Amino acid sequence: MKLARRTILGLATISALALMGGFAAAAEKIAVVTPYLSQPGTQFYVEAFQAKAKEFGWEVNVVDTKGDVAAAISRIEDAANQKVAAIVINVDPSQVTAGLESAKAAGVPVFGMDAGATPLLVTNVTSNGYAMAADTAAYVANRINGRGNVVMFVFDAFPPVQQRGVIADTIFKNNPDIKVLDRVTPDVKDGGIADSRAKMEAILAAHPEKGSISAVWAAWDQPALGALQAIEAAGRGSEGIVITGIDANPEARASIAKGGSFEASMAQDFKAIGSTVAEAVKRHLGGEVIKQSVIYVPTRLITAANVKD
Amino acid sequence: MVKIIQTYGTLACFACLIVFFWVALPDTFMTGRNLMNILQQVSMLAVVAFAMTLVMAMGDFDLSAGSMASLAGIAAAVTFRESHSVTLGITAALVMGLAGGAMNGALVSYVGILPFVATLGTLTIFSGLAFLLADGKTIFGSDIPAGFASFSRGGVPLWSSGDQILLLPNLTIVAALCLLVTWFMLEKLVLGRHLYALGGNAEAARLAGIRVRLLRLSAFTIAGLGAAIAGLMYASRVASANPTQGAGLMLDAIASVFLGMTIARHGEPRVLNTLVGVLILGILNNGLTQLSVDSYIRDILVGTIIIAAVAASSLEKLKRN
Repeated sequence: MKLARRTILGLATISALALMGGFAAAAEKIAVVTPYLSQPGTQFYVEAFQAKAKEFGWEVNVVDTKGDVAAAISRIEDAANQKVAAIVINVDPSQVTAGLESAKAAGVPVFGMDAGATPLLVTNVTSNGYAMAADTAAYVANRINGRGNVVMFVFDAFPPVQQRGVIADTIFKNNPDIKVLDRVTPDVKDGGIADSRAKMEAILAAHPEKGSISAVWAAWDQPALGALQAIEAAGRGSEGIVITGIDANPEARASIAKGGSFEASMAQDFKAIGSTVAEAVKRHLGGEVIKQSVIYVPTRLITAANVKD
Repeated sequence: MVKIIQTYGTLACFACLIVFFWVALPDTFMTGRNLMNILQQVSMLAVVAFAMTLVMAMGDFDLSAGSMASLAGIAAAVTFRESHSVTLGITAALVMGLAGGAMNGALVSYVGILPFVATLGTLTIFSGLAFLLADGKTIFGSDIPAGFASFSRGGVPLWSSGDQILLLPNLTIVAALCLLVTWFMLEKLVLGRHLYALGGNAEAARLAGIRVRLLRLSAFTIAGLGAAIAGLMYASRVASANPTQGAGLMLDAIASVFLGMTIARHGEPRVLNTLVGVLILGILNNGLTQLSVDSYIRDILVGTIIIAAVAASSLEKLKRN
């Protein structure tokens, strides 16, 4: 009697699973594994990827491990074991090497969606940090007509940000009348805004004359926002100091829209990253050998002219 | 008779689950590679769940187990970064586990705070400490010694044919050793009998001359050590340490113990039954991923199964009375 009840319970659970699982599957299966689905950028990638996948007739399984990187490894292993057609990851590959190795052993190709480069991936689709820095540094150089003092905010300890700084250095060096006044590495423990503001306040105090600072180039938005606060608090918001950031986060967009000193930032095209990954998977499944270990998706300079688009 | 049925109820469901996935995934579920895969995937959860069984045997909880696992991983990684010594890093993590566990035990047994409240407090402390030590960042890359990271990818070869080698994963071996030690402590040592006596009736245990305070202190300290071992295993598996990475382990560990308790004769936590609970969760995660079931639906199912299993055994108890 009791055994019967337990068995019924078990059978009910199992049939529910069966309904949800679905046995028949002729379509190619693709697993997308990420611990970060709740983050806005990741959602954009994944939605765009799914839209393309639908077009290609794939069956996509999105697995969100909710911040748990070890679980991401486990789910990559499961997908590899199941011999899906391809796995797409949005997580630092150096942290999931164990999973990537089992995918390799099973012969299942893995693609990075803004993940980082490693030989264990067929390719990684992301934004070009070099190009983003070139766009904003060139914007600064042109805005100040190739002449004046520039303050740079950099962070060389983090490779993706370090490469931005190198490009900006080159562009400023190429303008003989631009002088880099200071190359500041802010303390990012509190998010980067507060310490950047403090550092900028000190620089402003050291250069009190109007026009002694022409521009602030920041390798990401937080220091740009901190510099903006310092400049406005010092009553120098009308001096025409040009500020640029990178990432075009909502706060940066709001500042750019206001039309103050913060003039430009770079927006990554998350949707294009998602759909480009899908295209790369299709090319690979079609037998093409993808030579690029990193595929860049174009980014866009955001200024007051297009910030509201 | 009732006992037999009760024992076999959850076990029958466990068997049904295996048969179901075997049928639904004929080519990929019941393979040596996948089974080793599952055993490796559950090994960290298993170690936390075994430690949790010790504490739950005396009727207490340790809510801080997950954040202790994170803190131990961070302690090891920070030590690796400073000293480049694997031994020192592992020692730091284990010492952290013992100290944190002893702190839990002292708060519960000598200060007299309810375990739920005491370990909720230390959960927050350990988590804050992990963030502080790590500067809020993930420690990875060259800071983690290659030998430490590759440990979790290795194993003992069981069988090979051609270029296919089946490994018994190192992490699984560690979990099996922890199982053996916990089983020995709970089932063969006086410590275990006293823990169950305490879980049955604390006052009677005290009157029977059991040194209740020392017993609880020891159980919590050992549980802290277990959480730290799991944290090290986790850090090795992801070749990095993050101040939140162990957080998910605690609730799953408690769930595993509860699932196991539905098998036991009197509903008490037994470590081998906890293992069944851990395997149920691990098999569900593995099988449902392979069936492409949405990861959020998976969570709902796991929760439902825990409630169903516990409900079935509690309804039976009601009926018996």
